[in-house]
Amino acid sequence: MRLREAVREALRTLRVSWLRTVLTLFGIVWGTASVIFLLAWGIGVRDMIEGAYLRVGRNLVQVFAGQVGEDFTPAADRRTLWFTLDDVDVVRQRSRYASLVLPESHFFREVSYRQTATTLNVRGVTPEHVSLRGVRVAAGRPIRGDDLSHRRRVAVLGAEARRRLLGAHGGIGSIIRIGGQSFTVVGLLDDVGMQLWQDGPTRLDEQVWIPLTTLFLFGPRYGRDAEVVDNILLGLRDRRLRHEAEREVRAILAERLRVSLTDEEAIRTASPLASLEKLPLDQIDDLLFTLGVTTLAIGGVGILTMMLDAVQERRQEIGVRLAVGARRRDVLIQFFLETFVIAGAGGLLGAALGLAGCAALAAVAHGDLIPVPVVRWEIVAVALSVMSAVGFLSGLFPAWRASRVDPSVTLRAE
Amino acid sequence: MSAPPPVIELRGIEKKYLSGRFAVEALRGIDLRVDGGELVAIMGPSGSGKTTLMEILGCLLQPTGGKYLFKGQPIESIPPDGLARLRGEEIGFVFQSFNLLPRLSAAENVELPLTYRSVARRERRERAARALERVGLAARARHRPAELSGGERQRVAIARALVNTPSLILADEPTGNLDTQTGESVLELLFSLVRDGATVVMVTHDPRIGERAERLVTIRDGLIDGDGATGAAAPRRGAP
Repeated sequence: MRLREAVREALRTLRVSWLRTVLTLFGIVWGTASVIFLLAWGIGVRDMIEGAYLRVGRNLVQVFAGQVGEDFTPAADRRTLWFTLDDVDVVRQRSRYASLVLPESHFFREVSYRQTATTLNVRGVTPEHVSLRGVRVAAGRPIRGDDLSHRRRVAVLGAEARRRLLGAHGGIGSIIRIGGQSFTVVGLLDDVGMQLWQDGPTRLDEQVWIPLTTLFLFGPRYGRDAEVVDNILLGLRDRRLRHEAEREVRAILAERLRVSLTDEEAIRTASPLASLEKLPLDQIDDLLFTLGVTTLAIGGVGILTMMLDAVQERRQEIGVRLAVGARRRDVLIQFFLETFVIAGAGGLLGAALGLAGCAALAAVAHGDLIPVPVVRWEIVAVALSVMSAVGFLSGLFPAWRASRVDPSVTLRAE
Repeated sequence: MSAPPPVIELRGIEKKYLSGRFAVEALRGIDLRVDGGELVAIMGPSGSGKTTLMEILGCLLQPTGGKYLFKGQPIESIPPDGLARLRGEEIGFVFQSFNLLPRLSAAENVELPLTYRSVARRERRERAARALERVGLAARARHRPAELSGGERQRVAIARALVNTPSLILADEPTGNLDTQTGESVLELLFSLVRDGATVVMVTHDPRIGERAERLVTIRDGLIDGDGATGAAAPRRGAP
């Protein structure tokens, strides 16, 4: 029997017993749709969580100074440490893993606009901060190099800071007062949204950015020099090399600050990447994949049961086919193809359903609150491969059983 | 030029099988020769082994002893695929219960043996149509078995057996499920096939049918009890 004949025969049989076919299809359709939907949703969950973690800055490592550790000096003499702009320059020159090395300092000050006064986190920044943080300037301009060189009193407001301070009125050009000094608002940052990781007490949306050098004019803080750098921010070239980058910057700064390389209290690092690594995102992926594949396998068991039933019911037919010249191989191929046609049709329908489900959720979901499924061709490929494997395995056994039917028994039974 | 070999030649055919814990000897040494163009009726009581004999003749069952030559070729030397081809090309089956596939139309049922011989679709249709015409059912080609009467179903089964122009037609109680009148017309059809040159071996319970065959073979307890021209089914030579 030619393959085309066998496929035609399989389709005909399926058409004739259409109710059973449809019921069986349901399992495989649902299974394939589940695999696609769950995997796409898993990527959405990961994207949402990663997005919320990394909104503080992509590939960010924050380095800040503490005190000389207890193990390294008597408690009474513990030296308070801080960084300077020179330290930042040295790190920038020597670091092989960071593409951006930026200084940042900050304090809380009362910030007022007309009758409104509120305490806000004011950050002294550099022009590259916008790129390191990955935040868009919604209106106006960012802090520029010449703002730093002229120590201009200009400010860029985070979305929430703007709402609290300026309200519905005021925008670019508004004059605000920070710690009693007048600043001109030259830029407004875009809404950053939910942040699951912060490199300080406030979210980006709540901050007021001013030139770092202007911040230094506010004078010495906490008994340190005036030009204290609170944070050194590293933008890594490759997030997978975070440990190497941290070791490197720690070595450079330990030498600069004359502290022990192993003194973890002296030079500290923090990164959203480290927090992300602790999350069981891979396990979530694995769980979703297992759930999807199990659903599909259950669909496969449905096919298996149906086909075993079909073989039992059609023993007489098999006997007749063998009597009129079918080889056992022909019977095997026929039953296998019937299964595979069901699995194939179910897989394609399921893929369509899964993709439609993803599109539907993507249309209503908000990326911050509900994960948006992310469909990649690999997911469809995985779902269809798993479906093929399920179809293949669940088709093989019934087909083998069919090919073992003894025509002399089944024809005589009639 | 030597005479063509007989269509069937059985030498000491035995068939034993296990029924539960007991060994059953269904056939205990059958010798039989059927030449081309013969109509042979096989009769015997229930359990005498005649259906087993038919299944062996149709290569659906392998004997456990003896030798079966089909047109001179020993069956045991033919691999399973070759036996399938032999069934498809050389043998046509007619069963008591018709054994038509209920989901296929009459024409598709008749086409079935041809699909396993990779005959092109158009040719299959033409040959099935001719076979149905031969049995007088051209008008019912598109009907499913459930839409046909018993006699018509058996005619479709005969058309299916004919469609490959086989060397041998095996009919197992072909009139067993039919009323007398319908059975008569089916018999008449089989007889006409023999007149056209076919070889037919037919198992029957009905002595009136047996008597109408040219040759009647009676079988009892797995052995041939008599073999001869009808009306004078003489005891087999050498039988006790």
